[in-house]
Parts: sequence; structure tokens; C-alpha cells
Amino acid sequence: MSEALLSLNGVSVRRGSSLVLNDVSLDVASGQLVLLRDKNGAGKSTIIEVAVGLLPLEKGEVLHSGDVLIDASGRSKRPKSAFGLTLQSDGCVGSLRVEEHLLNALDLAGGRVDIDPWLERYNLAHRKHDLIAHLSGGQRRKVAMLAGLLPGFVGQAPRILLLDEPAAGLDAASRALLVEDLHKLRNRGNAILLASHHTDFTACATHLLTENSMETNEAFEESKEITDDMKSSSQKNNPAFRTGFLLNQRTLSTVASNGIAGFLTLGILLALVDVSAADSSLMQASGLFLSAAFAAGLVGDNMVSMLHEHRALDWWKAHRQGIPNSYIHGLFLGAGLTALTQLGFDANVSWPLVAIGGLLTISTMLMVRWMDLATSRLARPRAAFTRILTPILILPFALLVQWITDSGLL
Amino acid sequence: MTKRLAEVILLLGFIGIGMTLGLAFLKAPSVSINAFESPDAQRIFYWHVPAAWAAFIAFGFLFVGSALWFFKRSDLGWRMHVAGAQAGLATGLMTVWSGMVWGSAEWGVPWDWTDVRLNTFGLLTFLAMFLVLGRQAQPDGVETRDTFSTFGLFGFVLVPVTYVATRLWQIRHPGPVIGGGESGSLNGEMALILLLGAVSFTVFITGHVLMSMRITSLEQRLERIQEAKDEV
Repeated sequence: MSEALLSLNGVSVRRGSSLVLNDVSLDVASGQLVLLRDKNGAGKSTIIEVAVGLLPLEKGEVLHSGDVLIDASGRSKRPKSAFGLTLQSDGCVGSLRVEEHLLNALDLAGGRVDIDPWLERYNLAHRKHDLIAHLSGGQRRKVAMLAGLLPGFVGQAPRILLLDEPAAGLDAASRALLVEDLHKLRNRGNAILLASHHTDFTACATHLLTENSMETNEAFEESKEITDDMKSSSQKNNPAFRTGFLLNQRTLSTVASNGIAGFLTLGILLALVDVSAADSSLMQASGLFLSAAFAAGLVGDNMVSMLHEHRALDWWKAHRQGIPNSYIHGLFLGAGLTALTQLGFDANVSWPLVAIGGLLTISTMLMVRWMDLATSRLARPRAAFTRILTPILILPFALLVQWITDSGLL
Repeated sequence: MTKRLAEVILLLGFIGIGMTLGLAFLKAPSVSINAFESPDAQRIFYWHVPAAWAAFIAFGFLFVGSALWFFKRSDLGWRMHVAGAQAGLATGLMTVWSGMVWGSAEWGVPWDWTDVRLNTFGLLTFLAMFLVLGRQAQPDGVETRDTFSTFGLFGFVLVPVTYVATRLWQIRHPGPVIGGGESGSLNGEMALILLLGAVSFTVFITGHVLMSMRITSLEQRLERIQEAKDEV
């Protein structure tokens, strides 16, 4: 047997208060398709999520191509070769277009294939430019499934493909196409781990994993004749940055959340503070001019809550190539708010202060975003009250104001 | 008696704190009008300092508990984490509130955003509040315990920072009253009342932690019974 592309060695995982996986070991080599077909609650999705390093391990280790991806001591490493992933909850944001999500999946894999034939094949061509939010549940599932399959056609080297219930909500015709595509992917040498209840996949699985024991599938039907002639090109892109930028342009989320907080603060300051206060004390002036930018940053990065939709955050986290962010928009917003505040108080615009305002918003956003991401593993991440910790940022803000005053920047 | 141990210790702590307050208002010597803007408000000191002392003990429990859960998956560690966070919140709020009253009288402002000691201590209290409220909003499980114990471990960095803050960056908050050189010396009677306060708050915090750990243990037992019934 060739070397395993994916290995789980003695993996135990706890979720909530129960041990969901206990000492599970499995190897998936190039050209193998392992089907997980246990009953509900047996831990199929947990195995998929463990295999991409989304869950911490109680015991054991997960290896990709012989290198440790994650182990029980918490050691975690980005895999050398990107994988294809379909999560049970789709993993795509409604505000992205179908085409954009699929290109993200391909760019994360480091290359591109022509997606049009695939959209045609699964009857999604007419939806190529639609927002994912406008699709039906079944169509969205097809997009999520394609995002897991297409990386398997990028480049010549075999990849790991992890597909959790890819056929959920798919009609019989689409399932038949998927079985055919799985044959193609396996014949290309990809190592596939598939969790599904559908019996359609039994024929294309080389191995079955039931109750922690792996066995050769007697019903496997070899199909060497099903091949493809897909051509791929290699691409170096930063899909996380591009997606963050796109989502911000499309939803104006930074303006709508951070911007509103900043503008409200500016409005309150202008309404309550005497304009002459800006002249009376340098410390008071620099504090005033930066307040709106600071308030905008305290709202955090709205991208994190947007990515909670259909577990898109986990999909991005699993790939370990960055998570979409709103830094660029935060930078311009903070700089703009600082300039506006100075103009509002009839002061000359200090450009170094404008730059500091932009950096203040972005660094404050970064800290709040870190707090949000640190609690994203909780069962109810939105009920984690991370904003209670934001006063940690007031002291650095006060020290910054002090420094500006002492340095004579104004 | 063993079952009532926490209640007894807690009661002793309350009695001691009551006595400290009584002595602070009725017996403690007045301080010089030249040394303080508001000499009468200085009596808050006998509450403020012991409460801060107790808060540091509570944060110590929180840290040890967080570490025990994080590295050893110890249930006892998780109970210590919960108890430390609750006790830290209680004593932290006592310290912050009394400090703000004293600050208003002495400095003319309740808070100074540029003072490192005030802010790091305030943040420790906010951290305890975050841990208490956050935990209550989440179902118990490894995800909840891992996340909050991580914050407990990170947050403990603030304890030494808070402790040395008045030595390294004294802005508004005064330096240490004990072990701080000549400027921190107390006369005998004042030191005695402060000592009573410190002992009382230590007893109080011990009772609080023991009782909280018992309640968490009972909650866990109840949960196990419910889960066993679910499986029937």
C-alpha cells in the first residue's frame, strides 16, 4: 500500500461533556475512498472536522502526507498541500456569489480550473453570478460540494478531499453525477474521506469505516475508464484578503457598524463639547480628535460575525490561509473620522494624526477581532460577552494620547 | 460539620469584615490633614486594601484552576476556575467601587484612565465578569472550559503587572503601604486594623471559594443524573 495521505492515529475527541471519538485510527492513501457510514451521532462529522484540524484532540495526532497537522499537545501546522473541504453546514457566506466561493476554494488549493463546465453539469450555470443567499438549500449544497471537489482537479499531485454529507438535499440525478465525479477524483490519485448515509456511494468506496474499524469494501466497483481531461493553471492569490474586501464593498459592513459608532461619537462630541476646548489643552484636543476613530475600532471586525453564517468561519479556519478581514476599510474609516473630527472642531488637519487615527481604528479592531475569534469555538459564540473585555484598550488609548501630547505632534 | 465548613468560614469572614469596618470608623486614628485632601475618606483604606488583597488571592485561584483544567483536564481545576472567577468578581468590584469613592474625595475624580494600576486592576475585574457571565451563557463542556481557562491563563499576566504598577509607573495611585519603604509606613494601631481586615477578607474569600466549588460540584452531579435519565 502507498503512503497514507491522511492519517488519524489513536485520536480521541471530546465534545461538550461526552467523548465523541475514542482511540480512532485510520489511513487514507492515494486512490482510496473511505466511506464513513455510521448511524447519527456516531461521530462522522467529528472525524471530518478532526481530519482538517478544526477540533482539539484529547489524544492522538492527525497527519497530512506524513506531517503532523495537529496533535494532542495543541501543536498545529499548516499542511504543505491544500485540501478540499465540504462541511456539513456548507461553509459559505450568503453575501458571496457562487463563482466567487468556488474560485476561493480553487485559490486556496493554489490553482484554477474552468468552473463553467461544472456549473453546467450540476445545473448551476444560470446561477453563477447570483449571491449564495439567493439559492435554494439544495443549490447551496451543490456549491458547497463543488468547493470540496474542485481542489482535487488542481495540479498533478494527489490531494486529500474531505466531504461531509455532500449529497444531503441533492436529487437522484445529481447524486449519480457526484458518484461519477468521485470515481474521477479517485482515479486521479486523490485520497477521499466521505461521510454519508446515502447508499449511492457504497459502490465507489474502496473502504468502509464502521464503528472505528476499517474494512475493504466488497461491493466496490472498479471504474478505471472514468477519467477526466481537466486542465488546471497554477495561481498565487490571496483569497482571504480578496473576500474580505469584496464582502465589505458589497455589504458596507464596516461603514454600517464601525462607521456608525464613529459618526455617533463624533456627533455627540460636537453637540456636547465646546469647540474652544480643542484649543485649551493639547491633551484634551488629541483625545477629542481620536475618540471617533477609537469608538469605530471598538466595534470590532464585523467580518467575524458575518462568517458565522453556515460555519463559513470554520471553513476558512480549516484552510489555515487567513480569514477575511476588514482592515483596509477600517484604516480609511479611522483616518477619515480623525480628519472630520478636526474639521468639526475648526482645527487645522494634522496629517500625522489622521494616519494615527487610521492605525488606531485598525489596531483596536484587530484586538476585538482576536477576542471574537478566541471565543468562536464556544457552543454560543455570540453569547460570550467579549465586549466586557474592551476596556483593556482604553489604557493604551490614554497612553497614546499622552504620547501625542508629549511629542508635540499637534 | 464538614458539610457546613464553607458556611462557617464564610460567616467568620463576614464577622471579621464587620469588626474591621467598625474599628475603621470608630477606633482608627485620624490621619494628618496636611497629608490628605480628604482625611475622613482615608478610612475607606481599611476596606479597600484588604478587598484588593482578597481579589489577588481569588485571581490566584482562578489561575491555578485554569492551568489545572487546561493542562491536566482536572475537574477540581475547573471548579477552582469557576470559584476564583466568582470570588474575583465580588472582591474586585468591592475594591474598584471603594477606590472610586475614595478617589472622588481625595483626587477629585473617581478614575484616571492613564493610571496603570487602576486600569489593570479594573481590567482584572472585567475579566472576572466576562468569565462569570460568559460561562453562565454557555453549556458546560470542553469547548467552554478550554476557552474560558485560556482567558484565565492570559488574564493572570495582569496580576504581576498590577502589583508592580505603582512601583514602576506611579501616576496617581499611591505606592504600597507595606513593604514599600519609608513612604509606606503605618503606625501600630492602623497596621493592626489593616491586619484584621486582611485576615477577615482572606477567611471570607476562602469560605466563598469553598462554597462556590461545592455548588459547582453539585451542579455537575445534577447534570450527570439528568444525562443518565436522558439515556433511559
